[in-house]
Amino acid sequence: MCDRTCILCVEDASRVYRMGEVDVAALRDATIRIYEGEFLIIVGPSGSGKSTLLNIIGGMDQPTSGHVKFYDRDLARASQDELTLYRRHEVGFIFQFYNLIPTLTALENVEVAVEIARDAMDPLEALRLVGIEDRAGHFPSQLSGGEQQRVAIARALAKNPRLILCDEPTGALDLENSRQILGLLRDLNERLNRTIVLITHNGAIARIGHRVAQIRDGAIHSIQPITERVAAETVKW
Amino acid sequence: MVNRVLPRKLGRDLRQRWGPIASLLLIVMVGVGCFVGMASVWRDLDGARTHYYAEQRLADFTVDLKRAPAWVVESVTDTPNVETIQGRISVPALLDLPSQAEPISGTAISLPTERRPVLNDVVLRSGTWFSGEREKEAILNEAFARENGLVPGSRIKALLPDGQHELLVVGTAMSPEFIYLLAPGGALAPDPARFGVMYLPEDFLRKRADLEGAYNQLVGLAHDASRTALRNTLDLLANRLDDFGVTNTTPVQDQPSARFLADDLKGLKVSATVMPGIFLGVAALVLNVLMARMVAQQRSIIGTLKALGYSRAAVTRHYLGYGAIIGIAGGLLGLGFAVWIHWGMLGIYREFYPMPEMRMRFHPDFNGMGIALCLSFSLLGTYRGVRLAARLEPAEAMHPPPPEKGGRILLERIGGLWRMFSFRQKLILRTVFRNPFRSGVIVLAATLSAGLIFSTLAMVEALDYMMEYEFKHIARQDVTIQLRDPVHRDAAREIVGLPAMSRTEPQLQVVCDVRHGPHAKRIGVTGLPAGNELYTPLDKAGEPVVVPERGLILSKKLAEILDVEPGGEIRLRPLLGRRREVIAPVNGVVETFLGLSAYADIEYLSRLLGEEQTANVLLGRTYSREVGDGFLNEIKTFPTVVGMERRIRAFEQLDATFGQTMGQMISIMVLFAGLIAFGSVLNAALVSMSERQREVGTLRILGYRPGQVAGIFYGESLLLNGIGIALGLGLGVVLTYLLARAYSTELYRFQAVIRPWEFHAAVLLTLLFIGLAQLILYVMIRRFQWKEVLNVRE
Repeated sequence: MCDRTCILCVEDASRVYRMGEVDVAALRDATIRIYEGEFLIIVGPSGSGKSTLLNIIGGMDQPTSGHVKFYDRDLARASQDELTLYRRHEVGFIFQFYNLIPTLTALENVEVAVEIARDAMDPLEALRLVGIEDRAGHFPSQLSGGEQQRVAIARALAKNPRLILCDEPTGALDLENSRQILGLLRDLNERLNRTIVLITHNGAIARIGHRVAQIRDGAIHSIQPITERVAAETVKW
Repeated sequence: MVNRVLPRKLGRDLRQRWGPIASLLLIVMVGVGCFVGMASVWRDLDGARTHYYAEQRLADFTVDLKRAPAWVVESVTDTPNVETIQGRISVPALLDLPSQAEPISGTAISLPTERRPVLNDVVLRSGTWFSGEREKEAILNEAFARENGLVPGSRIKALLPDGQHELLVVGTAMSPEFIYLLAPGGALAPDPARFGVMYLPEDFLRKRADLEGAYNQLVGLAHDASRTALRNTLDLLANRLDDFGVTNTTPVQDQPSARFLADDLKGLKVSATVMPGIFLGVAALVLNVLMARMVAQQRSIIGTLKALGYSRAAVTRHYLGYGAIIGIAGGLLGLGFAVWIHWGMLGIYREFYPMPEMRMRFHPDFNGMGIALCLSFSLLGTYRGVRLAARLEPAEAMHPPPPEKGGRILLERIGGLWRMFSFRQKLILRTVFRNPFRSGVIVLAATLSAGLIFSTLAMVEALDYMMEYEFKHIARQDVTIQLRDPVHRDAAREIVGLPAMSRTEPQLQVVCDVRHGPHAKRIGVTGLPAGNELYTPLDKAGEPVVVPERGLILSKKLAEILDVEPGGEIRLRPLLGRRREVIAPVNGVVETFLGLSAYADIEYLSRLLGEEQTANVLLGRTYSREVGDGFLNEIKTFPTVVGMERRIRAFEQLDATFGQTMGQMISIMVLFAGLIAFGSVLNAALVSMSERQREVGTLRILGYRPGQVAGIFYGESLLLNGIGIALGLGLGVVLTYLLARAYSTELYRFQAVIRPWEFHAAVLLTLLFIGLAQLILYVMIRRFQWKEVLNVRE
């Protein structure tokens, strides 16, 4: 990892939410670096702060304190407009429940991201990369869960972002579909050198990545390299 | 960068919600249609009027006098503000037509034998001008001729001041002076069959009226035709012409036809603003509910768009687009609807106000304003939803919405009361009170709907009451006979002694100037005999008022204008006879709905004219309700008689004229008001149903029938619409009082008449429209694909 470029650096980042009269620390002094081309898995139980961390990395939220540097840009001090542009050009999101727009076809769901991005890829090409170009004209209600997640991946990919962030991408899928999606993500990472950060509560997934970070109670407990990576097809839970 | 995908999403989202959108568009369509349609009618009418008045040189003022030599006309042309002044002859006449047993009141007006431009000129519609070869030729008012089947070549008999003459009809014509053909003496509705205006050659009429080398009416144009300027000008003219027996001066604003048309135009302008405002306001509220719901449903989509890098501005523009599309679509539908309103209303107005150049014209500015208004209200309606969407932060939007407020509603805190409700009732109450905005919109729509329907019905009742009061309670004669001039009672003996008459009572009607302090008015004073039975003014309690031997009884409206109370005194100057001003005590106030009336003892009034026992009107009660031909034939022969009217016929004519228009107006108002209720109820129900699809699906799986499921929604609707209707009835009462005041003028007044049937009808009609909306909801629940809903993934 040392000879790879650090594209995003989170330093002592904390996020505190005010709930009525109580302050809830969703993230506490988190420090982590993300390197170009790596597949980073962040594992933690529900409520551990992993989604909060992902949101901060993805520019959807800002820390209450600390720094978040994407190359030399401090996202923690960025304005809303700057964060919007960051999300637009640098980040691709993949969500647990796909979040496709139901009134747009698969192709249009990819186009909606492409239209505002610079240097975007051809939407149909993105669908082809995820193996679902033959379903381009279908609406989400006409696709299975796995197919919908592929469309979501194509949407994230089509922007040619420097960072792809996945929030429990297999959380709503069965084992077989999950393996396929994980395999696809790993393939994109290796073949296209996409930097991918994936958060999950499922520890079994961790070994498909290059590194795994453990998060609990809002704090990062450990970050370990994966010495023996496994193929997505062999992942079992 | 032109975004192509989001517009597609917008279009498909709207199509998915076609039900609520359609009901919303209906309300918008009516609002815009009313505005553009009514405004267009107003402009067409106003334009036709202005053009007609200018082309045919409608006089700005009229001076009636006993007799003014021709040179007098020339001598007053230098009066300040007088642009031009002409003399003519105008006398009442009694017409005898072959098609009518009854004699017909009429007016004979002189026109030059040789065609030349004059003031109050006429538009020849058929036939020719006077030939100049025969004296006894007449040009008839077109409407009068049509109603009586008279055409060029017909012959009619007219009783002129010097006797009866047979006239040859040579042509028919229209005049701006008689657009609304009202008989003199306070008629309310045009009766072209029973009031005839005929134009006779000046030389011929001059001889008949014994006005050789003279005129009895001056008409003129003024440089400044405002009411104040004309008043001043007429005061000056009245002074200068005093020696020639000025009996009346009339500015164009008080000319009956012009006044009715002006009042109608004013009313139309108000309607064109108020009604659309109500509809578009309700539409904005309903759209608010729809948009807020849609944004809530699309919460995660909004989050996704922001996660993808769509800016707040882009998201705002997207959701504003819904308002824009609805605004434009509603506006275009409204423009189409406006064409129908325009065409229909103009058709009705053409019957009441026949004018040349009254054509349906396209007014691009009103059409543009209609679209702009519609768009503005729609965008306003979208505002709340758009604000919600714009404010959603991406991280917050990705999470499910926070649970709905779970706190107890106010009613729940009243333990004893809350326990009285069933489980279903509690569910209904919680839904209602936890969605205060949506519930408020439904209540408001039902309130407006019921209120508008109630006030419409109440105004109809007010008109009926007014007519009954004036034609059946105050006036109880069978016939009214107008005499040419006031005569001594003995001179009317022949008429009084007619065998058909069981009772006659004389009246003396005199135009007088009255003044109290700075307030002045020209009114008609009616002298009544002691012991009068056929015409008795009533006080506020409905009791007959005895006219005192001295002084006046004033109508309530007149007393208000003069700012005088019983016990006070006013200055009174008759415009007949000696025409001397006297101080007259005000002895009482009576309730009337027509005109500005004042009453006095007939002897007292006669003495003010320098006469004794004079009368110019005879009221008669006949032995039989149906007056026979013998009576009518005799009446026609009296040269002093210039008019005869049967009270019942006058009542029936008014009833028919207003009844027809009222019927159309009621139907349209009820339909429009009902649309408000229908549109908003349906919209809210569909939005509610979309929110509770899982609940509906679950109930169906459990075995609930569609009717039982619909019952959940009906309960909420019943509660909210029940509250709305109750409030609406209250609003309706208030509106009725306000409308009665707003529509009251010096010519006629309305009294708010509240009766039980109005409440019943308003409730039933409002419920009818609400029921229709619920029926549609029931059909949708029946067709609902509840199995699919329960299979939906997040």
